[in-house]
Amino acid sequence: MSARRPIPGLGAAPSTDLPVLLPFDRGKGRTPDIYLATRWLASLPPWTPLLILAVMLAWPLVAHAQGRYAYSDAFDALFRWMPFLVFEGFFFNILISFLAMAIGTVAGAALGLAQISLNPMLRRAAWFITQLFRNSPWLVLLFIVLLAFPFEIVIGGVIIPIPDWMKAVFGLSLPIMANISEVVRGAVQSVPTAQWEASESLAFTRRQTMWQIILPQCFKRMIPPWMNWYAILTMATPLCSLLGVEELITLSRQAMEGEDNHPELLVPFFGFALVIFFMYCYPIARATIWLERKYSVKL
Amino acid sequence: MQKVLSAAILSAITLTSVSAYSAQCTNETWNRVMERGKVVVGVKADYKPWGYRNESGELVGMEIDMAKDVAATMGVELELVPVQSSNRMQFLEQGKIDMMIATMSDRKDRREIVGIVQPNYYTSGTNVMAPKALALKEWTDLSGKPVCGKQGAFYNKIVEERYDADIVAFTGNAEAKQALRDKKCIAWVYDDSSIMADLASGNWDDFEMPMQTEDDNPWGLAVPKDELNCVFGKFMSGMQYNWHQSGALIELEKKWGIQATSYLEKQNQRFGDWLAE
Repeated sequence: MSARRPIPGLGAAPSTDLPVLLPFDRGKGRTPDIYLATRWLASLPPWTPLLILAVMLAWPLVAHAQGRYAYSDAFDALFRWMPFLVFEGFFFNILISFLAMAIGTVAGAALGLAQISLNPMLRRAAWFITQLFRNSPWLVLLFIVLLAFPFEIVIGGVIIPIPDWMKAVFGLSLPIMANISEVVRGAVQSVPTAQWEASESLAFTRRQTMWQIILPQCFKRMIPPWMNWYAILTMATPLCSLLGVEELITLSRQAMEGEDNHPELLVPFFGFALVIFFMYCYPIARATIWLERKYSVKL
Repeated sequence: MQKVLSAAILSAITLTSVSAYSAQCTNETWNRVMERGKVVVGVKADYKPWGYRNESGELVGMEIDMAKDVAATMGVELELVPVQSSNRMQFLEQGKIDMMIATMSDRKDRREIVGIVQPNYYTSGTNVMAPKALALKEWTDLSGKPVCGKQGAFYNKIVEERYDADIVAFTGNAEAKQALRDKKCIAWVYDDSSIMADLASGNWDDFEMPMQTEDDNPWGLAVPKDELNCVFGKFMSGMQYNWHQSGALIELEKKWGIQATSYLEKQNQRFGDWLAE
């Protein structure tokens, strides 16, 4: 009896010299995930604010009080300031994000369509504007707009003041415009070319094809990235505090000044800002990821 | 003939002097304030008790009271615009605010940008708050050590250059004090009167103000530079003179719980009415 040859994988270690398809490496061959921040936010459990609150309350155990000013005094101060912070601080964060999104969407849609225009000059110009604002740091854009824009404009003898938060709206709408432009361009190009060919064979003009056939199909798939950018924009609005625009973070600082700048105030006040931003952005992030899964192209 | 000639020369001189004056003083800001019946004053919202917010969000403080007095004297409405140390002079240059009373130290380089009106209404010096355990004595003890400060304060640079300290500047005082407590820096450099108020509050028992106060620097309110020697500047000079003479500033100091400074006492005596009882 000759010795039986062991079978690779059963009687011996698995081995082969045949070319095989290696397992898909998730780290390498993937396009960058535009939903990175939103996906992370949406993956947090819904009870995160309670966790933050627990950390805030447990803080004095870690950093023991050093003076007569107790940690509970700081919480009392927070409760007294809360209405002001919400209605005159966070309100402006929301207002800025709404208006910046509205302007950014309208301008971005126009820019995105210009990017797929048949006119090469227009196409290149739109591409350049998109790349310029998409790749500039938001804070730099904000600085330029806040310092370069006038604080009031005179139209026919009527003085129209432009408050700082309005300038922040313009500043933040620029990167949003550029990113929405890419969303629109990407969505239009993701429609199978057969749709274009079919409509051309049915004697649709280019404009009719775009408005009646292509864009209606794009609309649905543009919603998740659009919401994604809204969540990112909202989380970026505290950047304005660096420029003195009166929003939640700026007013939190001023409130702490009004309470004599006790260091004990820092955790409750900034913790509150964290919680309120989370509670606003979290549902948007969850809905975005849900819609993204629902509308994504199944392969 | 000679009479006619001299009259002509005289009138020419008067004309040129008048036109020179009018070229110098357009009184643009003053006239604008009077026209719209509202003066826009830049004040601090982050500098208790000179300018800060109360719980309902209104701006209050010693400088806000001064601004109210200015508006009442001019007979116009008052609009307060919160400014920061980093943008207050720009706002005035741009015309976004008509004047400012914003805890600004009266410095030579600042006088080139805005019209700082004499006599100065307040003064403060620079000192540090440091843990008693470190037993700092001299300013030179700060050499090569990290020192916390607030962004926009002019003495940050001075302390850095004169004593070779490494300034770590924060946007807010609460952050700077927390850093001091966390031992991220050996001292916190700030206005002496504010440090004294903190030490007196009993929350900083392990800390002291060990140095000799330096750079005692008067504070100045400012109008646009072009109007310093015109109606607006001279009016504000008069306001400040009256505050000193009547002791209004000393009363405000008391009202806002600021430690009494000898500067205001001295000014009060200096400008005192010699006929008053």
